[in-house]
Amino acid sequence: MKQKITAFLLGMMMISMLSACSFGKDMRYEASFLELFDTASVIVGYAKSEEEFTKYSQMIYDELKVYNELYDIYNDYEGVNNIKTINDNAGIKPVKVDRKIIDLLLFSRDWYEKTNGEINVAFGSVLSLWHDHRTAGLDNPEKATLPDYEELKARNQHIDIDDMVIDEEASTIYLKDPEMSLDVGAIAKGYAVERAALFAQQAGFENGMISVGGNVRTFGNKLDDNGKEIPWSVGIQNPDLSSDEKTLYVLNLSGYSLVTSGIYERYYVVDGKQYHHIIDPKTLMPTEYFVSVSIICPDSGMADALSTAVFNMPYEEGSKLIEGLDGVEALWVFPDQSMKYSSGFQAMIKE
Amino acid sequence: MKTRNVAMYGMLIALAFILSYIESIIPIPVPIPGIKIGLANLVVITALFTMGPKQAFVLSMLRIVLVGFTFGNLSTMMFSFAGGMLSWLLMVAAKRWKRFSMTGVSILGGIGHNIGQILVAMWVINNSVLLYYLPFLIISGLVTGAVIGIVGALITANIKKLDFMKN
Amino acid sequence: MIKKSDLILAGVILIIALAAIVFINVTKKEGAVVVVTIGGDVYKTLPLDEDTTLTIGDKQGDYNVLEIRGGEAKMTEANCPDKICVAHRSIHYDHESIICLPHGVSVEIRDGEKSDVDMIAN
Repeated sequence: MKQKITAFLLGMMMISMLSACSFGKDMRYEASFLELFDTASVIVGYAKSEEEFTKYSQMIYDELKVYNELYDIYNDYEGVNNIKTINDNAGIKPVKVDRKIIDLLLFSRDWYEKTNGEINVAFGSVLSLWHDHRTAGLDNPEKATLPDYEELKARNQHIDIDDMVIDEEASTIYLKDPEMSLDVGAIAKGYAVERAALFAQQAGFENGMISVGGNVRTFGNKLDDNGKEIPWSVGIQNPDLSSDEKTLYVLNLSGYSLVTSGIYERYYVVDGKQYHHIIDPKTLMPTEYFVSVSIICPDSGMADALSTAVFNMPYEEGSKLIEGLDGVEALWVFPDQSMKYSSGFQAMIKE
Repeated sequence: MKTRNVAMYGMLIALAFILSYIESIIPIPVPIPGIKIGLANLVVITALFTMGPKQAFVLSMLRIVLVGFTFGNLSTMMFSFAGGMLSWLLMVAAKRWKRFSMTGVSILGGIGHNIGQILVAMWVINNSVLLYYLPFLIISGLVTGAVIGIVGALITANIKKLDFMKN
Repeated sequence: MIKKSDLILAGVILIIALAAIVFINVTKKEGAVVVVTIGGDVYKTLPLDEDTTLTIGDKQGDYNVLEIRGGEAKMTEANCPDKICVAHRSIHYDHESIICLPHGVSVEIRDGEKSDVDMIAN
């Protein structure tokens, strides 16, 4: 009797210990790198072994690297026709490009129509003037200047997306207007992350998360201590960077993307006033409705595009757009730190 | 109440006081609030085996109130009550089952004492984190219970030899 | 005086308790945050890797002083009657706790991952 009970209890003990360090349980790994898209990238995920995880993260890195070069508007890469090449040849000739560029521009044009022109990749000539002033202003803060408004207006004449000719057959892009240029900054990162995530998933990477400069795409779930699948916890950056609270909300996401556009990301100071990088196509000046806008939806490219578009709209208009889209939620943070969120947002909040 | 019972009560209460005092000067190895070793349980188990369940219960409660007012306060009394009740319940049940000697009964009493107190502590702080202390408390209850059971058996045997108990 | 059934009882209980202790020890891991609760309500959550001193409550009334140093939490001062919390050793493993019963205060170590954020979108 005593022996039986002892044996039984010892058995129970062994089983509980085994399950605690259970065999074959997927382990959590993380990889990060700084080279791509001018920002920090992080890959987190679960795999059987470090080798398996490294295989996936390398795959994602390689994929993102290709997109990074193709979607670059500032740098040339040897043997690569990228968006800069297209801009350099505006008004000169069509440029033969990779299918990945054609797809991105088709996606962008699609969103131009869906947002009544709020997302316009042909807005490059205006944005580049701001970019030049911001870069110079950051290098030499005492001599920081604003772009000349007349010049902005003059450049704003060359932003017609219809002048972007996409020839899918020949796989070429041609900008008819020699003064125009493409800026895919508001959409390319998210789009590339989406593609890389889909690619990795097809390769068998089931539970992971990719963040490129805070552009977060989750797929699958994370595993808790008992190996149970639970959604990823993704925080929304508090725009008040001096606050102790790093996040405004933490969301349960599985298979969703979260992208935030905020004035704190990139800005420069002229005469004591901050000028951030999100330019309103209507006023040609930095948008002042919000301090940040976050978009949650499955497709990271869509989230990226929407975060900029909604940032540039008054709340009522943006809210109408978001509520009209399936599976899309948003959080608006106003300059007085008050917040509004879309109807399905609350259900995603963790705890 | 028979004279011998009065004498027994008086003797056992006196013993409980001494034991409670000893206990109050022994530091507890694991600093868990509200937890006492339960030396005074010796008195209760002795009463249980010499006088009966009802008397043991009365003695247990009497001890808690008197000792509480002397060495403790209302909140320590609350813990003692919970420990005392659970301990008494387990001991009476174990004794009725007739499988265990006094040592076995006392072990269950000691464990019941500790579990009762930790339950109250969990209720007070409204947090289940104290459960992690439970295995340690069970072992300490086991050890003190065993010691008390053996000592209690000696005392009981001697009391039963006393003439006035034989009537 | 001691029956066989007493020994079986003691053995079974000992094995269960030891198994639980082994289990707790095998599965224990470093905690990441310190959760302070009063009467069960979370009063403050602090990271274990940042040195801080927190006064729980008010020095005019009931108070406990919690210190986090070098990844360990300890109650350094309190005006409770029993001072059991101050006597408690430093804690740093997941689920370890220091309790101040008279004040209804619990200081608990928790694993960071559960409450922690995997990523921040910015």
